[in-house]
Amino acid sequence: MNQASSSATPTTSATDHRNRITGFLSDYGIIVAFIVLCVILSVVSPYFLGVNNLLNVLRQVSINGVLAIGMTFVILTRGIDLSVGSMMAFAAMVAASFAVVDSGMPLIVPLTLGLAAGLALGCVNGVMVARFAIPPFVMTLGMLSMARGLTYIYSDGMPISSLSPSFLWLGQGMVVGIPVPVILFAAVFMLAWFTLRYTTFGRYVYAVGGNPTAARLSGIKVSRITFSVYAISGLLCGLAGLMIAARTSAALPQAGVAYELDAIAAVVIGGTSLAGGKGRIVGTLFGVLIIGVINNGLDLLGVSSFYQQLVKGAIIVVAVMLDRSRLSNT
Amino acid sequence: MKTTLHRIAFTALATAISTSALAEDPLRIGAATYGLQGEFMQLWSNALEAHPAVLSGDVEVTVFDGRYDALVQSNQFDSMITRQYDAILFVPIDADACVAPVIKASAAGIPVVGSNTRCNTDQLASFVGSDDVLAGQMVAQQVIDQIGDNGKVVVLEGPIGQSAQIDRGEGIDKVLAENPGIEVLERRTANWSRAEALSLMENWLTAHRDEIGGVIAQNDEMAIGAIQAIIASGRSPNDIAIAGVDGITDALKAVTQEQMATILQDATAQAQGALDVALARLGKADEVPLSDIWERYPELEWAGGEADTYNIPWTLVDQDNVAELLEQRQ
Repeated sequence: MNQASSSATPTTSATDHRNRITGFLSDYGIIVAFIVLCVILSVVSPYFLGVNNLLNVLRQVSINGVLAIGMTFVILTRGIDLSVGSMMAFAAMVAASFAVVDSGMPLIVPLTLGLAAGLALGCVNGVMVARFAIPPFVMTLGMLSMARGLTYIYSDGMPISSLSPSFLWLGQGMVVGIPVPVILFAAVFMLAWFTLRYTTFGRYVYAVGGNPTAARLSGIKVSRITFSVYAISGLLCGLAGLMIAARTSAALPQAGVAYELDAIAAVVIGGTSLAGGKGRIVGTLFGVLIIGVINNGLDLLGVSSFYQQLVKGAIIVVAVMLDRSRLSNT
Repeated sequence: MKTTLHRIAFTALATAISTSALAEDPLRIGAATYGLQGEFMQLWSNALEAHPAVLSGDVEVTVFDGRYDALVQSNQFDSMITRQYDAILFVPIDADACVAPVIKASAAGIPVVGSNTRCNTDQLASFVGSDDVLAGQMVAQQVIDQIGDNGKVVVLEGPIGQSAQIDRGEGIDKVLAENPGIEVLERRTANWSRAEALSLMENWLTAHRDEIGGVIAQNDEMAIGAIQAIIASGRSPNDIAIAGVDGITDALKAVTQEQMATILQDATAQAQGALDVALARLGKADEVPLSDIWERYPELEWAGGEADTYNIPWTLVDQDNVAELLEQRQ
C-alpha cells in the first residue's frame, strides 16, 4: 500500500518507475526504523508495550498528527505552513468560548465555529500565497504572529475553561476502548491517504509540487490547488484546536507555541521532500509516531527532557541526510 | 465679526491652557511586565488599573507587554525614561538582565519599584512580591501532610533556570530534606505548561503504576495537567495528594472538588502594593487614595512605604476560603 502512492506523479513513466522503487525503499526504511525503535524501547522498559501505554502514545501524538497531515499537503506543493500552532490556538479559543458549560450552546456550534476559524485563517494564507504570490514562508510567518495576536485579542489573554462534558469528550472520551482523539487522527489520516492516492486533486498536489510550470501547461489550475492545501491545513488546525481544548479542558492563549516545528519534523522524518512533489502520507504517520515514541520512551526511562530535544533534533537531521543521499543516488 | 473671532480665539486659548494644566496633573506611572500572556500577569495588570488612585484620575498607568524578552523590556525602559515617566513598576523576565535598565532609570531620577519577580540589584526603590522559596516549602508540605511520613512523589518543575523554578525548587528541597521517608520518583520540567505536564504524567503513571502517592507541582497549570492524566488513566485525583502554586481560577475550581491544594499568590496585592509604594516614594501617599491591601494583610507593615522589601503573604486555599476567592474572580 505504501509503495504505489508516489505513482501519482504524472510525469514520464521512467521517473514514475524510479520513484516507485525509491519511494518503496524510503517508506520501508522509516517503518524499519520505527520497529527497531519500538523493539529497543520494549527491551529497556517493561512498560512500553503495554496496551495502555501504546494508547497513551497514540493519544499524545494525535494532535501533532492532525497538524502534520495538513503540513504534508502544503509541503508537497513546495510550500510551508509556519502558522499551524497559532491557528490551532485561535480555533481552540473560538470553539471554547462557545463550549463553556453555561453558554447553553448545542455541541454543533463550537465544533462548527472552531473548524470555521481554522479554515478562515487557512484561506487567508491560501489567497495570499496563490493569488498574490507572497512566498509561503513569509505569509505563514506573518500568520503565525497574526493568529497569535487574534487569539490574545479574542480571549483578552485569559484562558477559557469550564467546558461542557460533551465537548470534553472529543479530547478525553473513549469509543470501544480507543481514545476519541486517536479515532479523529485515524479518520483524518485515512481521508488524506485516500485523497492523495486516488483522487485527481491528490495527483494535482504532487504535480504542482513536482513541477509547477509543467502542471500549469498541462492545464492544472495551479493557484486553485495551492489555495486548497493552505485551506486544508487551516481546517485541520481547527480540528486540532478542538482536540487540544478538549484534552486540556481549557483553551489557553499560549497553547501550541512551536507546534509547527514538531509538525514539520514529522513530515521531514517521514521522507517528504521540502523541495515538493515527493512524499507519502504514510511516511508522515510514521514520522509522527517516531517523535511520539521517543518522547514517551525517554519519559518512561526517566531521561532528562534535555536529551529528548537532542535526540529529536538529531533524528530530523539524519532523516534529511538519508533523503539527500537517496535523491543523489537516483 | 472681528470681536466674535477674537472671542473664539480667546476661548480656544483658554481651553487649551486649562486642559494642558489638567494633563500635567495626573502622575504618569509605567508598568513594565514580563509579558501579558499568562493569567497571572493579566490579573496583576487588571488590579493595577483598578487601583483607587487610577480610578480617581490622580494616576495614569501605562502597562507594557515585555513579550517574555529581556531586550524588549530594556527598550521599553528607554522609552519610559525618554518620556519622563514619574515612576516605573517593574516585573522583570530575568533577574540579571533587568539590572542595567533599573540602573539607567534610577540614574535618570525615576524610582523603580519591583513587583512579583526578583531583580538582582540594590537600585530598586523597593520590592513588592512574594517569597518563592516559601511557596516551594508550602506546596511540598501540603502534599506531605496528606500522604504522611512515608510515600513516593513526583515533582513538576518550571522552565529550568527561571528564578521562580530555582526558588520554588529550593523550598521543595528544604522540606524533602526534613522528610527522609519521602522518595522522589521523578523530577522533571513541564515548562509551566498544562499540555506538557499531562503527557509527562501519563507516562509516569505508566512507568510507576500505582506507586505515585503525591504530585508536587511548581505551578497550578502543571498540577491541573497531572490531574487530567490521573483521571484519564482511570484513577481518582482524590486518592493522590496534588498541590500547585499560584491560585489560578481553574485550580480554585479543582480545590472545590477536593482534587488538589493550591497556594494563592495575590496578584492584586503585588500590583496595588507596588503602586502604593511608588506613590509614597514620589511623596504623594498623603494626597491620593491608597489600596486596601494593607488592611487586608495586617501582618504586612506599611512603614510609610519606606521598606526595601514587602513580602505579600501566600494564602493556602482550602474549603474554607475557596468560595470567596472564586467569587472575587467573577
